[in-house]
Amino acid sequence: MIKAKKIDDNIVRLLIILTAFIMIACVTRPANFIQLGNFQTMVKQMSEYGLMALGVGICMISGGIDLSTVYIANLTGIIAGMMMQNMAAGSNGNGYIYLAILVALLVGAICGIFNGFLVSYLRIPAMLATLGSYQLFMGIAIVISHGSTVSGIPEAYTRFGTTLIAQIPVAFIIFLLVTIVLSFIISKTKFGQRIYLVGTNAQAVKFAGIKYNAIIIRAYMISGLISAIAGLVSLARINSAKADFGSSYTMQTILIAVLGGVHPDGGFGSIPGIAIAVVILQILSSYLNMFPNISNYYRNLIWGFVLIAVLIINFVINKRKAAKLRKMS
Amino acid sequence: MKKFDFKKILKHTEFYVFVIIIALSLIIQARSGLFFANNNIVDLLRSLIVPSIYALCALLAFVSTGPDVSFPLIAALSAYLAIIVTKAIGYTGSAFLVFIFAIIFGMVMGALNGWIIVKYKFPSLIVTLGTSSIFNGILLGAFEAGRMDLPQPLERLGETSLLTVKNARTGLGSSLPMTFLIMIGLYIITYLVLNYTMVGRGVYALGGDEISAERAGFNVKAIRFGIFVANGAIAAIAGVCYSVMSMRYLPTEYEGGEMIVIAAVILGGTRMAGGVGTLKGCILGTLLLTMVSNSLILVGIPVSWQRVFIGVIIIIGTAISALQSYTAGRIKSKVKKEAA
Repeated sequence: MIKAKKIDDNIVRLLIILTAFIMIACVTRPANFIQLGNFQTMVKQMSEYGLMALGVGICMISGGIDLSTVYIANLTGIIAGMMMQNMAAGSNGNGYIYLAILVALLVGAICGIFNGFLVSYLRIPAMLATLGSYQLFMGIAIVISHGSTVSGIPEAYTRFGTTLIAQIPVAFIIFLLVTIVLSFIISKTKFGQRIYLVGTNAQAVKFAGIKYNAIIIRAYMISGLISAIAGLVSLARINSAKADFGSSYTMQTILIAVLGGVHPDGGFGSIPGIAIAVVILQILSSYLNMFPNISNYYRNLIWGFVLIAVLIINFVINKRKAAKLRKMS
Repeated sequence: MKKFDFKKILKHTEFYVFVIIIALSLIIQARSGLFFANNNIVDLLRSLIVPSIYALCALLAFVSTGPDVSFPLIAALSAYLAIIVTKAIGYTGSAFLVFIFAIIFGMVMGALNGWIIVKYKFPSLIVTLGTSSIFNGILLGAFEAGRMDLPQPLERLGETSLLTVKNARTGLGSSLPMTFLIMIGLYIITYLVLNYTMVGRGVYALGGDEISAERAGFNVKAIRFGIFVANGAIAAIAGVCYSVMSMRYLPTEYEGGEMIVIAAVILGGTRMAGGVGTLKGCILGTLLLTMVSNSLILVGIPVSWQRVFIGVIIIIGTAISALQSYTAGRIKSKVKKEAA
C-alpha cells in the first residue's frame, strides 16, 4: 500500500511542475506558445524520444539500463527505409510498407532479446552489455547503409508523418497508445509486478521460483520493440534515417526516466510518471527555442542540471518521509 | 621474492588480452606486411596516448566506485579554459604552467562529481552523465567555444617530437610527440600510488567492500572524493595532450571518447563491480582496441566494419569477465557451504 501511495505522490509532484511550466510559458510568451501549430510540433518531436524513454524506464525499473535504444531505432529505421525504397518500384499496393514495418519491429525485438540475453544469461552488467551492443547495432547500421543517409522514402509511408487525426499528429497517438498499453502491462499484470520484484531484489526473486532470465529478456525485448516503433516514427517524420542520428537522445532518455521517478537502482517508477516527464522536458525545450538568442547548446547545460537537481530533490524528500515514518513508529 | 608461476598467469585476463594482441598483430603482419613497420608502430603508440590516459580515469573510477563517463568533457572544458587563460595573460613560458592551469580547472570539475557522488550516494554513471552534459553546455553554450589556435607554449611543445621515423619502403613517416612521456609519467605515478601507499590500497579496499574498508580504518568518503578530484586532474592532462597533438583546439572532437575507453579497461580485466583492476590490463586493453581501430584497414577490412568489430570485442570481453566473476562467486559459496 505504501508503495502505491509513493508513486501517486511522485505523479502529483510532476503534474504540479508541469502546470507551473505551462503557466510560465503561457504568461511570458503567449503569442508563440498558445498556438495549435506549436503544440503539434511539440508532440511530434517528443513522441520519438518519449517512446525510447519508456523502454529505458522499463529496463531501469528491472534494475538495469538500456543505452542502445537510439541505435536500435536507427537500425530499424534504416532497414525499413531501405526495404521500402527497394520494393516500392516493383509493387503497386501498399502491402510492402506493412511488410517493412513488420520486419522493422521484428528486428527491434531481436535486438532487445539479444540485450536481454547478454544481461541475463551472460550476466554482463546492463550498462556494459548495452554499451557493447550499441556499438554493434550502430556498426551493423553503418554496414547496411554504407555510412550514408537513407532517404527517398515512398510518399505512401511518409504521409503518416504529416497526417492529423482530429488535429493530433499520428506520432503522438502512437505514443499515447504505447504509454497506455505499457502502463497496463507494468501495473496490472503478473509480468509487470515481477519486473518490480527483479529490480528490488534479484536474489529473492530467484528463491521465490520466478524465472529471472525470462523476465529480464522480456523487459529488454519490450524496450527493443518500442525503440523500433520510435525508429519508424522518426523515419516518417524526417523522411530519412542515418546510423548516427540522434546520439544525444541517449542522455535525454535516461534523464526523462529519472525525472519521471524511476530509481536508478531499480524497483521504483511508473510509466505514467515517465510520460509526464517527457511532456515537461519537451515544454522546457520548446520554451527555450522561443528565445532565439539562447544557443541550442544551453539545453545540455539545463538538462544536466535538471537531472542532478531532480536526483537530489527526490533524495531529500524520500529521506524526510523515512524520518517521518520512523517518528510515527 | 615472487616466483614465476605459469598457472597463475593463465588465470589472469591480462594474459589472454596479451595473446590476442600478439595473434592479431601477426595476422595483420601476415596479411599486409606493414604492421611491424617502424612508422606503423610509432603511429600506434601515438594514437595510444590520449585513450590510455583516459583509461586511468576509467580504471580508478571502476575500481573504487563505478563507471565515470565525464572525463572527455572535463578534458575538453579544462583544456579550453587553460588555453583561454594562457592567451589572456599573454604567457609565453613553459608549457608546464598551462598544464597546471588545466589541472586546477579539472580538479574543480572532478570535485563536483565527487561531492555529489559521496554526499548522496547516487550511481556514478547517472551523476557523471549529468555533469558531462553540464560541462558540454558550459563549453559550447556559455563559452561558445570554437576551433582555435594554441598559445605559444603548447605550440612549441607540439612541434618538438621525441622520435621521428621514416619507413624506407613506403616513404611514410611519423613522429612520436613529447606527450608520450607525460603518459608514461602518469602511469608510473599511478602505479606507485596504487601499490605502495595506504591511500592506494584504500582505493581497492573501498571497491571490494565498502563497509569492511570503513571498519578497517579507511576514510571511505575522503578517498572516494579524492579519486574523482584526481580523475578530473588526469582528464585535464589528457585534454591538453589532445590539443597539443592535433596542434589546434577542437572543442567537438572530445565527446564520445568515453565508451571505447571504458570497454578497453573492462577488457583488460577490471571488474565492473569494483575492487579489481590493474594498470597492466588497462594499457593492454587500450592497446587492443587502438589496434583494432587503427589497423583493420591494413588487413583490407573496410572502415565501415570497424564499429561492428569493436562492438563484438566489447561484448565478448565483458561476457568473459562477467562469467569469470560469476563462476568465482559460485565456487566461493560452494566452498563456504562445504565448510558449514
